[in-house]
Amino acid sequence: MLELKNITKVYNPGTVTEMCLFKDFSLSVEDGEFISIVGSNGSGKTSLLNIICGSIPVEGGDVLINGNSIMKLKEYERYKMMGRVYQNPSMGTCPNLTILENMALADNKAKFFGLGRGINKKRIDFYKEQLEILGLGLEDKMDIKVGSLSGGQRQAAALVMASMTKLDFLILDEHTAALDPHTAEIIMVLTNKIIREKKLTAIMVTHNLRYAVEYGDRLIMMDKGKIVMDKNSEEKAKTSTDDILRVFNEISIECGN
Amino acid sequence: MIDLIISTLTQGFIYALLSYGIFITYKILDFPDLTVDGSFPLGAAVTAVMLVNGFNPYLTLLCALAVGAAAGLATGLIHVKLGVRDLLAGIITMTALFSINLQIAGSNLAVERAVDTIFSAGPTMMLFGSFSLIQRKLIVSLILVILFKLILDFYFKTKSGLLLRAVGDNNVLVTSLAKDKGRVKILGLVIANALVALSGCIVCHEQRAFASTMGTGQMIFGLAAVIIGTTLFRRMSFVKGTTAVLTGSVIYKACIQAAISMGLPANLLKLITALLFLVILVIGNVEKGKGKKYAGA
Amino acid sequence: MKKLLCMIMIMAMTFTMAACGSGSGGDAEGSGDVPVIGINQYGEHSSLDNCREGFIQGLKDAGLVEGTDFAIEYQNAGFDDNISAQISQNFSANNVAIMCGIATPSAMACFTAAEDKDIPVIFTAITDPKAAGLTEGNVTGTSDKLPIEAQLELIRKIQPDAKTIGIVYTTSEPNSVSAIAEYQEKAGDYGFTIEAAGVTAQAEVTQAVDTLIKKGVDCFSNLTDNNVVGVLPSVLEKTDAAGIPVYGSEIEQVVKGCVASAGIDYIELGKKTGAMAAKILKGEAKASEMEYETITDYSIYINSKALAALSMEIPQDVKDGAVETSEE
Repeated sequence: MLELKNITKVYNPGTVTEMCLFKDFSLSVEDGEFISIVGSNGSGKTSLLNIICGSIPVEGGDVLINGNSIMKLKEYERYKMMGRVYQNPSMGTCPNLTILENMALADNKAKFFGLGRGINKKRIDFYKEQLEILGLGLEDKMDIKVGSLSGGQRQAAALVMASMTKLDFLILDEHTAALDPHTAEIIMVLTNKIIREKKLTAIMVTHNLRYAVEYGDRLIMMDKGKIVMDKNSEEKAKTSTDDILRVFNEISIECGN
Repeated sequence: MIDLIISTLTQGFIYALLSYGIFITYKILDFPDLTVDGSFPLGAAVTAVMLVNGFNPYLTLLCALAVGAAAGLATGLIHVKLGVRDLLAGIITMTALFSINLQIAGSNLAVERAVDTIFSAGPTMMLFGSFSLIQRKLIVSLILVILFKLILDFYFKTKSGLLLRAVGDNNVLVTSLAKDKGRVKILGLVIANALVALSGCIVCHEQRAFASTMGTGQMIFGLAAVIIGTTLFRRMSFVKGTTAVLTGSVIYKACIQAAISMGLPANLLKLITALLFLVILVIGNVEKGKGKKYAGA
Repeated sequence: MKKLLCMIMIMAMTFTMAACGSGSGGDAEGSGDVPVIGINQYGEHSSLDNCREGFIQGLKDAGLVEGTDFAIEYQNAGFDDNISAQISQNFSANNVAIMCGIATPSAMACFTAAEDKDIPVIFTAITDPKAAGLTEGNVTGTSDKLPIEAQLELIRKIQPDAKTIGIVYTTSEPNSVSAIAEYQEKAGDYGFTIEAAGVTAQAEVTQAVDTLIKKGVDCFSNLTDNNVVGVLPSVLEKTDAAGIPVYGSEIEQVVKGCVASAGIDYIELGKKTGAMAAKILKGEAKASEMEYETITDYSIYINSKALAALSMEIPQDVKDGAVETSEE
C-alpha cells in the first residue's frame, strides 16, 4: 500500500513567485489498484508523481510504502520498487543502444552491473516473448537502435522495459500525450493489458478523460493541489465521460482557461 | 619516408590511448572533461620520477593508470557530490594537477639515456631486440593500443559497460533502473583519465622527459581525433568506436606531420588543425543531410 | 552548396596565408648530396633567434659555404612540446647530418629522435645540460649559464645602497630554479638579499612584480625566463612607475628597456656552437667525444635612456667597458 500523508509542497519558497501547491495533501493507494488521475494544467498531477518518486523535495509530510517511510530514500533508490513511463518516449529508452541492449538493461534493473556479459543469450527468447505481447514486430528488430524507431514503438518498448522486473508500482506520466491518437490508443490498450496480466499497482496521470473513465479501478480529479473528485470502480461505472467533462470544464473556467 | 611513416604511426598510436579516454567522456558520457590537460602530464610526471629512481619501467604503466584514475575520481566527486558543473569540475582538477604534477616531479624532468624505458628494457629486447628503436616504439605502442582497444571493446559489452553507455545516452533511464547515475559518471571519468594518464606515461617513455606544460591542448587533440574518427566511420556501423578513434588519432598526427614536412611554420599549424576540424565536421553534417538543423551535433 | 563554397573559400584563405608564411621556413630541397643541418628552435624569441643566426655564422666562419657544404632546414616549434617532438622525428626520418636544438625542450626532443640512428645532436641556449640529460651520448653543444656574480657586482656598482633584489621566475623552468639557487647562494657576498617570486604562467608575472614592488625591493634582476621575458614591456611599465630599475640578463632585454646587464652575447654563443658543428661536419671531431662548453665571457650592456628616465647615474668605470644599447 502506498500512502501520502499531509504533504506540503511549496514552489520557489521565500521568493515573490512563491506558490503553495499542496497543503496537508493525503492519498492512499491499495495494492493492485489502477488509479487514473486527471486535472487541468497546474493542478499538481505531475508534481504528485514527482513527490512519490522523489524527483522533487517536499516541505512537509510523509510518503509510505507498506507502512514504511521512503522519504529518506534517494530518487534512484525508490525506483527499486517502482517503474515509470514518461510522456516523452525518448525518456524511457536509450536511443543509441539496440532494442536488445535496452531490454538487457531493463532486465538487470536494481541488480549489480558488474563485469559479466551485458547480454545474457539465454534471456533473449524471454525478451522476444515480452515484445511479442505488443504485436508491433519489435521482436524481429532486436539489433536495431531504438533511436530509429517511431515514437509509438519507442513508448511501447519503454512500457515493456518499465514493467519487466517485479514492481510494487508502475507510474504512468501522461505516457500517451505525445503520441498520435491511433498510436495512443494502441499504447493504452497495451498498458491495460500489461497491468492486468502482471497484476500491477498503477498510477496513471492522463489528459485524456475517456481513458480515465474507461481504464482503471479508481478515478481522481485534481485541482489546485486538492482532490476534487474521487470515484471508486462502482461509482466510476455509473459515470460517463460527459459527466466528468462537465466538472472538468467548471474547474477550467474558474482557472480562466 | 618509411621512417617518417613509422614515427607518425607511433605518435598516432600513443595518443590514441588518450583519445580512447576522451571518447568515453565526450562521446559516451557527454561530459566535456578538461581534467585531461592535467591527468596527461600527471601520468608523465609519475613515470619520469619512477624512471629516474630506477623503478621497473613496466610498473610505471600500472602506476600511471592508477594516478589517472584518481584524477578522474576527483573530477567526478567534485561534479557529482559537490554539484559543480561538468566543465568547471574538470577545470578545477586540471588546475590543481598543474601544481601537483610539479610537486611530484620537482620541475621539468629529463630521463637519461642510460635508463631503460618500456621500449628498451629486458622483456621488450628479448622479444623484439632485432628491431631498431623506432620500430620497437611502433611495435610496443601498437601492442598497447590494441590491447586497450580489446579491453574496452570487451568492457562496453559487459553489464557495467552497458550502463555506462546508457548514462550518456539517457541518464533518466539509469535513474529508473534504480542506479545512481552520479556513480556511473564517476566510473566513466575514472576509466577515461586512467587511459589519458597512461598515454602521458608512454609519451614520457618515448620522449624521455616530463614538462609541466605538456598537457596543454591535449583535450583538444583528443576531441579532434574522436570527431575525425567517428565522423569518418559514421555510416559504417560495423566499425567499433575504438577503431574509429584510433584511426582519427593517426589521421590527425599524420596531418600535422604532413604540414611540418611541407615546411609550414609552427605558428600556422593550429590554424591548419582548426581547418581540418571544420572540414570534417561540415562534411559529417552534409552527409547526415541535416547540417543546418543540428549544427551542434 | 553555399556551405561548400564557403568552405572552399576558407581553405583557399588559409593556404594563401600558410604559403605567405612558409617563406621563412628554410628550404633544404634541391641540395642533392649537401649534408642537411636540421635546426629545431623551440619558438620565435629574440635571444633564440640570435643563437640561430650566430650558429649559421659560426659554420660560415669555419670556412663552410651554405648550399655546397651544408644546407639548413629550420623549423620552430611555436613553444609546443608535441610539435617539437614531431619536428625532430621529421629530421630523423629525413636523415639529416646534424640536428641542432635551440633551447632545452627542443634539444631534448632532438636527442630522443636521434637516438635510433645515432645522428649527432648539437644544442645551444641550455643552462643545465646535465639536468636535461644531454651529457652522455652523441651530443654536445654550448651552455648559456648566466654570469650571476658579474651581474651582482654590476648592480652593487650602480646601486651602492641597494639591499634587496627582486626576481620573478617560473617554478617549472629548471634553468630558472637553478639560477635562483645560485643567486641566493651568492647574494650575501655582495651584501644583497634576494626576494624571489615564483609563477606558473605568464599571466601571473605582472602580479608577482606588483607583490615584489610592494615588498620594497630596490631593483629587479631578470633571468632568461621565457614567461618573464615574454611580458617584459608590461613589467617595465610597472617598475618605471614605481621608479625601480630592472637589470636584464642579456642584450635583448637591455635593448627593450632594462637599465643594464652583465650578459651573454647569444650571437657569440651561437657562433661557438656553429664552430663545433663545423668540426663534426668536417669529420674533425665527434659529438660524443666533445665536452659541452659553457660560455663564461660576458659583456656589460647599458641603456642610458632607461637610466636617465630613472635619473640614475652610473660610475665612469662601468660606463667605459660597457656597450651602449639605446640609440642616442
